Amino acid sequence: MASVAAWLPFARAAAIGWVPLAKHPLPPPPFRISRPGVSPSSPSTSTTSATTTSIGERRCDEKIIINVSGRRFECWRSTLEKYPESLLGSNEKEFFYDEDTREFFFDRDPDVFRVILNFYRTGKLHYPRHECIAAYDEELAFFGILPDIIGDCCYEDYRDRKRENTERLIDDRLHEDDDKIQPKPLSSRESMWRAFENPNTSTMASVFYYVTGFFIAVSVIANVLDTVACGPDPETGYSRSCGERFSRQFFCLDTACVMIFTVEYFLRLYAAPDRLKFVRSVMSVIDVVAIMPYYISLFMPHKGEVSGAFVTLRVFRVFRIFKFSRHSQGLRVLGYTLKSCASELGFLLFSLTMAIIIFATVMYYAEKTVVSTKFTSIPAAFWYTIVTMTTLGYGDMVPKTWAGKLVGGVCSLSGVLVIALPVPVIVSNFSRIYHQSQRADKMKAQRKARQTRIRLARNATSNAFVAAKRRHEQHFDDSNASGDKNIVNPFESQHHHLLRCLELTTDREFVEMGPDMLMNSGGGASLAAGNSAMAGFTNFGSRSGRFLLHPRAWWCCKSRRRRKNSCKFNIERKNTNNANVSGDEIDAEIGDFQLPLTINPYNSSTLSPNIIIPPQEMPYQGNSTSSLQYNVVLHSNANEPLLPATNRFDLNLPLGTVNRTQLNRKANSLMAVYEHSSVNDTGKGESASKSDTYRARSPSSVSDSTFRRTTHVQIIDKDTHEAV
Amino acid sequence: MGNNVALNTKYDGNSDYDDAAVTDNSRSYRPCSLDELVARTKFDKKEIQVIYQGFKQECPSENNLGIVNEQTFKNIFGQFFPFGDTSKYAHLIFSTFDLRSSGIVTFEDFLIGLSTLCRGTIEDRLKWVFKLYDTKKTGRLTKDDFHVIVCAVYSLLDNISNHYNDYITIQEHTATVFQKFDKLHQGYITIEDFIKICTQDPIIVQSIEALRGAI
Repeated sequence: MASVAAWLPFARAAAIGWVPLAKHPLPPPPFRISRPGVSPSSPSTSTTSATTTSIGERRCDEKIIINVSGRRFECWRSTLEKYPESLLGSNEKEFFYDEDTREFFFDRDPDVFRVILNFYRTGKLHYPRHECIAAYDEELAFFGILPDIIGDCCYEDYRDRKRENTERLIDDRLHEDDDKIQPKPLSSRESMWRAFENPNTSTMASVFYYVTGFFIAVSVIANVLDTVACGPDPETGYSRSCGERFSRQFFCLDTACVMIFTVEYFLRLYAAPDRLKFVRSVMSVIDVVAIMPYYISLFMPHKGEVSGAFVTLRVFRVFRIFKFSRHSQGLRVLGYTLKSCASELGFLLFSLTMAIIIFATVMYYAEKTVVSTKFTSIPAAFWYTIVTMTTLGYGDMVPKTWAGKLVGGVCSLSGVLVIALPVPVIVSNFSRIYHQSQRADKMKAQRKARQTRIRLARNATSNAFVAAKRRHEQHFDDSNASGDKNIVNPFESQHHHLLRCLELTTDREFVEMGPDMLMNSGGGASLAAGNSAMAGFTNFGSRSGRFLLHPRAWWCCKSRRRRKNSCKFNIERKNTNNANVSGDEIDAEIGDFQLPLTINPYNSSTLSPNIIIPPQEMPYQGNSTSSLQYNVVLHSNANEPLLPATNRFDLNLPLGTVNRTQLNRKANSLMAVYEHSSVNDTGKGESASKSDTYRARSPSSVSDSTFRRTTHVQIIDKDTHEAV
Repeated sequence: MGNNVALNTKYDGNSDYDDAAVTDNSRSYRPCSLDELVARTKFDKKEIQVIYQGFKQECPSENNLGIVNEQTFKNIFGQFFPFGDTSKYAHLIFSTFDLRSSGIVTFEDFLIGLSTLCRGTIEDRLKWVFKLYDTKKTGRLTKDDFHVIVCAVYSLLDNISNHYNDYITIQEHTATVFQKFDKLHQGYITIEDFIKICTQDPIIVQSIEALRGAI
């Protein structure tokens, strides 16, 4: 967006290519050529007379001085006006204007302001790394710029720092308010689950945490001590393990531990929000494996304690130590690392295997000649190779021939290399994953949300642009003599004019989109097609010949159905009383609602009060002879939930400027506005006067513009559906 | 006009910039002097200055060669017509500005084109429009040429590839326009016919005036 204004003349000039194709004559340009004797619409063949006018207009773009805490910045006014929603681009900067020095003074940080001003110049917002993220955010907020538009070059950095900062703040806050937290009352199940997952949430939780930890440790130590030699067996004279000597005590201890583990497991199972997921998780599998041997051994007949299966089961008791991984983040990360470094580990294993086989083979054949050699077969040589490659060197198998010794030397040297290579990869993986484990999911969610927000904002901008364009057209159309052209940005008016030419060339109209298009499509305004497809259309008539309007349809969003010009407000999904208007079948199909609105003409002194949804409350001006009954058809988009801000809609009609802005604010880009008009039973034959009176209003909102257009609409009697 | 003379490029060789300009970053392109441009076009110094400032800023920054390519045009139009797909239209405009069919538009080309469009006579402008439509440079316009331009203009509005109905509209529009111009039903339109028909149509003349005069 750097120099869009500079290219606008080029775009307008290139638009001459549309002229032979245009279905309608193009409107005159929005600016006036001030030189006398040159009228805008005369097909003059001499061209030099118009030379200096537009340059003069461009040079009325003045230089603005901005003084930020003493440092002066200068730029063109048009540079700042590129972003009218920000402070510098809007009238808000007038609050900071210093009359004496004729400059804008801001008492803010000049370094950050430099970055912000560059954004206006180049269209890209950067984040300087040395700035504190909070200070930067503050400045952006002050100047009305959303951080979402930070350019891709700096966005990752910004996001990372912002997240670090927020996390740190949250941690600090958590530690402070640990005791003071009064969350909304959770069910016992939820609070239990929270206690299990987060031991620092309450004292009970941490008590539970430490108790289970203690018992895991006890159980593991008991398992270990079980096998220590404790003194000679009085009967047989052999030394016994402690487990045999104090078998009852160990049994009690084991029982206690297993009971606690069982209770804990079932409590977790009860508290888990998703039980199936919990049962499948690794930790629960470990829990089960840790306590199952005990139960199995209970049910097994007490035959020999040395039977193979029983011994195996005892081995599984050591899995209890893995329960510690609930207590240790590092253990979990280690496990995850190993899982994720599967490829490196696999490579390590594979290369080791290759080397082992090679060296074992060579070793075997080298030592084959030796009498009573330990290298009886190649698999026997495997053990030697492994011990040598890992530089253990037990010495139980040594080569005797010199060839074997040579091979052994090479084996140990290569072993060092082969093992050392994948290890750093695994180590760095571990470190990376440890840091990433905290960030990965958060970033993903944020990115998606950010994309949606950016898309929404972009569509909102484009819709607002379309609305502004229509406003300007009304303005231009209405009040030629009025002097408020000054407040209109010349660049914008030219841009509007250009788009208007495009519309007229192709006999289409730019319309705002409804929320479904906002969410789904990447952008773009939907179009109202020309008249050709429509049946039963109302005539707009010509507006003083300026814009030759053919009867047009106002399509709603993507639905390409034929209907009479119906107005739809995407407001509230409330089914109101309905449907005496044409298009009932359409309403039924897409769930449109209708809302009768009463509008009084401008010259009537009794203006209707606020028309508020739901219509049951609406005062019905039944006997007012000059009121128009507008049936507002609400189009509900069943797929997209409406924003809460648009749920209540107060229509103040007719609209003074205050109400107009209110309407504008509410009938924002998320709504597709259509109007269907019909007249109530008494309002007959007054269409002509109404059209004149409505014209006098200065439109400032989207609904106004549609409002205007419908004044030329043929008024259809509500009951009989015939034109009046 | 001697194009080779006027272009003081830093590197030797002919005016075939296609590969050189893109691949060699050290060769940056400088336009010829301001006075020469004033002499060759109908703008005065101040105007050329303003135009050049804008032009320079829009050049692709990685090369900063002082030229624009078709992609830049596409982006520029994309800023003005944010709703649609500007590539077709940009392509047409680009090839019309590209006087030497070199694939790039230098500042001179740009200025000359702009001078014709903003300050030229009606005849000049209509000739430019004819050149715009005549993509194959045959000197005659056929219905296909019109179809191309109509497609391009419609695609500025919205991405039409999804809308079958729009295709029919385009066909109709093309047929209407072609019929309007092809009064002799020859199946093609020459430049003289084109200019004659346009100048005789007051709506077109008025519309041309509506787009004039902006710098």
